[in-house]
This record gives sequence, structure tokens and C-alpha cells, in this order.
Amino acid sequence: MTAPGHRDGVEITVGYRGLGTQPDRLEQRTVAPAAGDAPPWDANTPLRAVGSDHDRVDGLAKASGRAKYTSDVTFPGLLQARILRSPVARGTLTTLELDAARALPGIAAVIALKQPGQRVRFVGDAIAAVAGTDLHRVRDALEAIRADYAAEPHTVDYLQHEDAPALAADGSIADAWPSSASVEQALAAAAQTHEATYRTEVQTHSSLESHGAVAKWNGDDLEVWCSTQATFGVRGELARALRGQRIDVGTLTVHAEFVGGGFGSKFGAGIEGLACCLLAREAKAPVKLMLDRFEEHTTTGNRPAALLQLRAGVDADGKLTAWDVRSFGGCGFNVEKGEGGGNVAVPDYYTKGAKTRRKHLDLATDTDPARPMRAPGYPQGWFGAELFLDELAAKAGIDPLEFRLRNDRDTMRLDQWRFGAERFGWAEARARRNEPGARLVRGVGLASARWGQLGNPGRQPHGIQCRIHQDGSVEVRSGAQDIGTGLKTVMVLITADELAIPPARVTAVTGHTGDPSGPGSGGSTTTPSLAPAVRHAAFLARQELAALLAKDLGADAAQVAFGDGTVTVGGRALSWADACKRIGPNPIDVRGKRFPNYDSEPFSAVVCGCQFAEVEVDTWTGLVRVVRMFGVQDCGLVIAKKLAESQVLGAMLQGISYALHEQRILDRTTGRMLNGDFLRYKILGSEDVPELGCHLMTVHNGHTSTPAAGLGEPPSVAAPAAVANAVFHALGAPVRHLPITPDKVLAALAARRQ
Amino acid sequence: MQSPSDRGFSRRSFLKGSAIAGVATTGLTGAVAPPREPQTFGPGAHEVTLLVNGKPRQVTVETRTTLLEALRDGLDLTGCKQVCDRGACGGCTVLLDGQPVNSCLLLALDAVGGAVTTVESLSDGTEPHPLLQSFVHCDALQCGYCTPGMVMSSLACLQQHGKPTRDQMRRDLSGNLCRCATYGRVMEAIERTAQGGGK
Repeated sequence: MTAPGHRDGVEITVGYRGLGTQPDRLEQRTVAPAAGDAPPWDANTPLRAVGSDHDRVDGLAKASGRAKYTSDVTFPGLLQARILRSPVARGTLTTLELDAARALPGIAAVIALKQPGQRVRFVGDAIAAVAGTDLHRVRDALEAIRADYAAEPHTVDYLQHEDAPALAADGSIADAWPSSASVEQALAAAAQTHEATYRTEVQTHSSLESHGAVAKWNGDDLEVWCSTQATFGVRGELARALRGQRIDVGTLTVHAEFVGGGFGSKFGAGIEGLACCLLAREAKAPVKLMLDRFEEHTTTGNRPAALLQLRAGVDADGKLTAWDVRSFGGCGFNVEKGEGGGNVAVPDYYTKGAKTRRKHLDLATDTDPARPMRAPGYPQGWFGAELFLDELAAKAGIDPLEFRLRNDRDTMRLDQWRFGAERFGWAEARARRNEPGARLVRGVGLASARWGQLGNPGRQPHGIQCRIHQDGSVEVRSGAQDIGTGLKTVMVLITADELAIPPARVTAVTGHTGDPSGPGSGGSTTTPSLAPAVRHAAFLARQELAALLAKDLGADAAQVAFGDGTVTVGGRALSWADACKRIGPNPIDVRGKRFPNYDSEPFSAVVCGCQFAEVEVDTWTGLVRVVRMFGVQDCGLVIAKKLAESQVLGAMLQGISYALHEQRILDRTTGRMLNGDFLRYKILGSEDVPELGCHLMTVHNGHTSTPAAGLGEPPSVAAPAAVANAVFHALGAPVRHLPITPDKVLAALAARRQ
Repeated sequence: MQSPSDRGFSRRSFLKGSAIAGVATTGLTGAVAPPREPQTFGPGAHEVTLLVNGKPRQVTVETRTTLLEALRDGLDLTGCKQVCDRGACGGCTVLLDGQPVNSCLLLALDAVGGAVTTVESLSDGTEPHPLLQSFVHCDALQCGYCTPGMVMSSLACLQQHGKPTRDQMRRDLSGNLCRCATYGRVMEAIERTAQGGGK
């Protein structure tokens, strides 16, 4: 049955073409696009710009240093601002005296962000803010503020929480498992069982552009530049917060044309954004408030720590029959509000035939709350689960690849496993033996990835503005932001193909809330949500141009054809430029929208990936070096190939960084971060880069006219686990606690010798 | 009770309000500049002349003003970024007398008399510098925030080695952090430039 408002079914080809020697997986499917939507692009649609190696359209603006990020925005008379932070982790603010700061030269505004009597929840909680002519004077003024606190005992280590499990000397959870008859029975019947505990540490997002904003009041109208992943989210948040302060705002416009990284930490204006607006109002001058690196590490969220224990069993065929997981998230103070954000995800495609159980508990500490970070919960859980599977496979005497081929239920990933193993040279590398007693030992490991994101229309359908001007230029606009994932390029390429013109004629503008609304860039939603809207806008513009030309030239609109930079009107061929001259001074100006995904089942509702890593371990120093890595990743329709590859390769390196280096270290006595800078909080650098490759596959899921799927997060899921498995292979002993630093490697070697 | 000043010793509190007397050359960078008479600066603001991208530019600084602040806030040359403010990330890299320096670690006064080159100089002409074109061609950037600094370190690497090896590139880029982790493609862009690749 076709729902009202839908047109008749369209037959399309979905699926993907063979990965290496794997067979094509193409099928026919009937879909029913909404009335008025663009027709679906499928596996047989010839596309020119989409899927090509086209350059990033704002690449030159960024490389040349001419792109203006929020931190670069300036105005005559711009004031600088900073926030006074709590030095205590838990307690009450008892005194706040601001007058001495106000009296200092060059200080234009001082505001309280907490009142005496209010709770202080972590080291870095915002207390007051100051704006002045330059940062030096502002810092002088911060030092002139008197703030006293009634400090209380605090806990910054979640394992000291009263609900934390007891740990044995080797770090494994010592508490008995709660009983579960079905899991116990399955374990008792298993041919081989295994049990182990895994740990990860807090990772900070470490975006290079810190959080912050520039606020400028024009009368009652407020304009805000914000380093954010969600322009419309920031607008809504600020409007609510200012209303809460009884400030009437006329119009509120948010700009985020260029954003220096977010990775999940920049969905809101935050206290820093609000403080910026309030300071600008009080000072009657534009104000810039950007956080410094220590604040960035300590007050803008993080990937929380995880502790997880697994036990499982396999039958004589090496198939998983029991799967029991319990986990704990080491989170911030907001756990009591039910917003800990520490949940740990584990793969479910290996265990469809097993008796399973899953339990999780978030544990609060007196620290900065967690925020989503690139595949929240996934890298932690996949690290534990995939390393656990390799340990179990070793016990059962099965090769890790073979073990996954027996248990993985996703057909697409089974193809990826075989293809990736061939490209990586898995069998040969895995069979290689290290010389007995060698100082440098090598090993290889693999791990899977999964994500599910086919985009959505949003509660108020996302829109895209498309204008065709009489000079032949085309303008596409979205109020959503391009955080480096390539939205502008995606908009240009789709529009170019729909209008059959070169991409150079199209300009994309993003990041101004005066333009049609779009999603926050989280959950890998931006491209899959907006690509069909971009397409629809170009489709409407094309229809309008066709109607205009048909009328002008006395032809039927149905006889207007677009192809290769030319428009044919009833047999008469016009160049694109000549056709557009007929538009007149006002452009064709249409607004496309995002229709819901088709009702029919997509070819695949999830995106799949797998990665392979080879490491070299120095058994004298314990240093791990990743030698090479290869990833296979699906992301639906690949639109901007080069940019998509950059995301996959970058996610793999970020994963190595998480696996080997990153760890927030808090002083238990003061609650303060000890390594809140880039000297002591190590992230991966150029010396750590291995030989790196990826294969990006287009999968036609047939779920929209322009069927992209989410890509930002999935490739970050597999990488840490693949590295950990390679270390296990190299050492013959697992390191079950990230990051895999030299001390842990040496301890694992010592334990193996015993 | 603690106050923000308990955060500890900082460069700023050391310099705050103090007068420094010094020879305004750049000994740390190894640059060769003619010896000059000692001068006294501070406290308070001074107008100085910096030679930036081949042109003398007037800028008002205090003794505590860094070169990065002078370029960004004084001259609106915002290609160089303040990321870590501790010389740990290279986001603020500019060339001083041809050598890459972290402009966040250098006082503006110490750059007087030297030749400062910023990323903006690479797109002053009609055609962008081949290195910029290679960065775009190789997609050696994502969010782009580290990129101007990465470009300047890459330029210094090319100027020093001509056709740098991968190991030389790794070493010369080791002071530049990229959270999007596009390092591999930055090295490809350097290689492509060395091989004469432009557009």
C-alpha cells in the first residue's frame, strides 16, 4: 500500500559492488519517494562530481590562514574576557567580591556566574567573568576578585565510589556476578570459556580551537560567533538563558562559518557563551571570550573512563553461546541527574546466537561532566570486547579472523573481513613468528566497527536554500555548520550533479542561523540528513529554470533537458551561461527540504567497517609503535571521496592516540588535572604516524533520494581495539588497560614470564 | 583559600609590570642580526616597528606582549593561532629570519629587527603558493585550525631540505599537533610541492 501523498513505487538498484574478489551484492527494490521529492539516485545512476576526488571547497581559505574562525573574529573596540574558576572540587561559594576588579584600569564589565551560597561542583566550575581591553588586564582583574569557598571532601576517582566494584590485585573485578540462570547454563555447557576485566581512562576532546564566543549587541539584537557543532542549538540555548536573566532579545543570530574541531564537545554555548553575551551587554561593547588550554581540558567535557568485565563461552565449533557483560562508567558530578554519559557499547553482531546479559552503572565523581565524544561509549566497549574475543579465540585455538568469520552476522562485514584481510596480508603477517628473545617483537590484530546513521528530517524538517543567479553562479546555503567534515563540499558536488554543471559554478555557505535550519553535527548525522535536502533544493531550482526557459522559448517544460553544462529546450541547445541570462536580476530562489527516509527497509540500516593493525613493541622499554594500519569502511553513498578518506584516516590515528597515549590524570588531593596542557597530555603527533591506508566503499541503501550514511564516528570505533589486539599478538599477553603505556607493557611481559 | 594566582608560576606573572632591558635580537632562534644598543622598555605600552611579510608595520605592544598577540590582535594577521600557549602545538608557527618559531613563546619586542613571515604571505600574489595548492589537492586538512602552522613548518622543511625524506618531514612537523590527524596527507603535500606540483 502506498501512503497518501506518496507517488507510485520506483524500482531502484541497491547494495554494493564487489569488494576485491567478493561478489557484487546488488538487489532490486521498490521505493516510494514523497510527492515533490527528487527521484532516487541508485547504484546505476551515473554521477560526475559526486564520488569524485574533488578538492575541499574551502581548503584554500583554511590553508592560507584567511578563514576566520570564532577566535579570529574582531571588531573595533572589541573587549577580551575570561572566567574565574573554582580551585576547589566540592563545596560552597561563601564570598564573592567583585568591586576591586571593576575598579581596575581597562576593565569594562565584571559579572558573577555564581552567587555566595551556591554549590561548587568541580575544579574549574565557573564563578565570575571579566571583560577588558586586553587579556593581560583581564587576568590582572581576575586576580583582584575575592572568592572564598567552604570546601568539602571530594572524590575524583570513580573506583573509590561506594558503588564501585572491588578490584583484585591484578585489576580484575572481584565481586561475584549476579546470578543469571540462562547465562550460567550456557557457560556450563560451553566447550571453552573465558573471563576478564578491561579498563579505559578519561580522554579529553582536545579540539585545537577552544570553546568560546564573540558577542555583539546591536540595540536589542544579538549577534554571536561561536565555535560550535550546532548553530541552532546554541541559538536556542542562548535565547532561553537570556530570557532566564530577564533580557529581551530582538533577533539572535549565531555564526559558525569555520570551526576548529569539536568531536562532540561543542553542542552548546555553555557558560562561556552565556558569560560572553552578558559581559557584552554590560560593557556595551563587543566581547570575545575564548577558553585557554587548561580550561579546555578541564571544563568542556571528555570521554569518560570505563571498567568492564566480560565472560563468555563458545561451543565446539567456536560459536559464541554465552555472553555476559557488566560495565561501569567513571563520570562527572551530573550522574545524580541521570546524565552521566558513561554507558559502554559492545558489539552485538557476534552474539546473536548466544545467551546474553548486559548491565551498566555510571559512577559520579566531583569532576567536569562527560560529553559525547566521537562514537560515545563505543571505543571503550569495542576495545574490551574485541580484545576479550581474541583472548577467547586463542584459548579455543582459533585464528582471530576465522573466529570473527564464524560469529559475525553482518554479511557486509563478512565481505569486508575477507577483503581487508587480503589487502592487509593478514594470513602471512599473523603466521610470522618473532625470534625467541628478540628485543623488538611484532604482532597484528584486527577489530570491527559498526554505526547506524542514515540521517533524519529533524523535528522541523531541515532546509536548504538554492539560488541560481543570472551570471550562471549557483549559491547553496545551510544554517548548519561545517566542522571540517566537508558539508560545504558535499553541498557543492550534489548541486553540481543535479544541475549538470561543473562544481566551480557552485558556492556553498554554511554556519549562519539566518539560513535554513540543519542538524547539530553529532552522531554522524549532518551529511546523511542534509544531502537529500541539498538535492531537493537543486531539483526545485532546476524545475524553476526549466519552466522559465520553456515559457521564454515557447516549449514544453517537460522538453527541457540538462546535461554537461548545457540546457536543451525543445531541441535548441543553450549553454548554461546563456540559459541563466534569462533569469533576470532576481535569482531563482528556492528552498528544498529533507523528506523522511523511505518507508521501505534500507539495504543496510547500519554502516560496517573493520580495521587491521601491525605493531612493533620494544620489549626492553615497553614502547609500542604502530607500524601499519588498514581500514575498510562503508558510509552509504560516498559524496566527497577525498574528504571522506581524510575522516577515516584521521579517525584511525585518533584511535591509535587513544590506545597508546591519552589519559587525563587528576590529583586526588586537590581534584585538579595534573596534565592539563599539550606538553603532558600527549596526543598523537607526526612521529607516531604509521603507514596508513583505507578503502571506502559506497553502499546504496536506497533510503533517500541521495543516500549518504554517517561516517564521522564509525572509523573511530575499531582502531583502539585493533591496536590492542596487535599488542596481544606481539607480546603473547594482553594489556587490558588503555592507554597501553610502557609500564603496562613491561608488567604484561613480566606476568607472562611467571 | 586559593585564588587563581595559586595556579603557579606563569610567564605572565613573571613579566607583569616589570621593565626588561635587553638587546632586541633573536638569539634563541639562531638568527644573525647586527648588534644593537641596549634599550629599556616598559612598563606600559610602546609603539614598535615589526618587519612582517616584507613590510614595516607599526604595532603597540607591552613588554609582556607576545609576537603571536602582536600579529593577531595588533595587525589582524589571524592565520597563526593560539592553541596551547606553551609552545607545545605549533599552531602559532611563523618564520623569523627564515626559521620556524612558536610565536606564543617569543616576545614581540624580541622580534623587532627580525624578518617575520606569516602564512598570509603565501597568498599575497595572484596565484597561491604551490604548497598551499598541494595542501588543498592532498586534502591535508580537516577542521583547518592547525593548518596555517602546519603550512609554515612544512615551508621551513622544504626550504631547509629541498626534497625532504619522510623522516625529515616527521621530525620537522613533530612540533605541530593536528587533532583531526591529517599528518599523512600533510607529508604528501610536502612531497608533491617538492616534486614541483602546483595546481
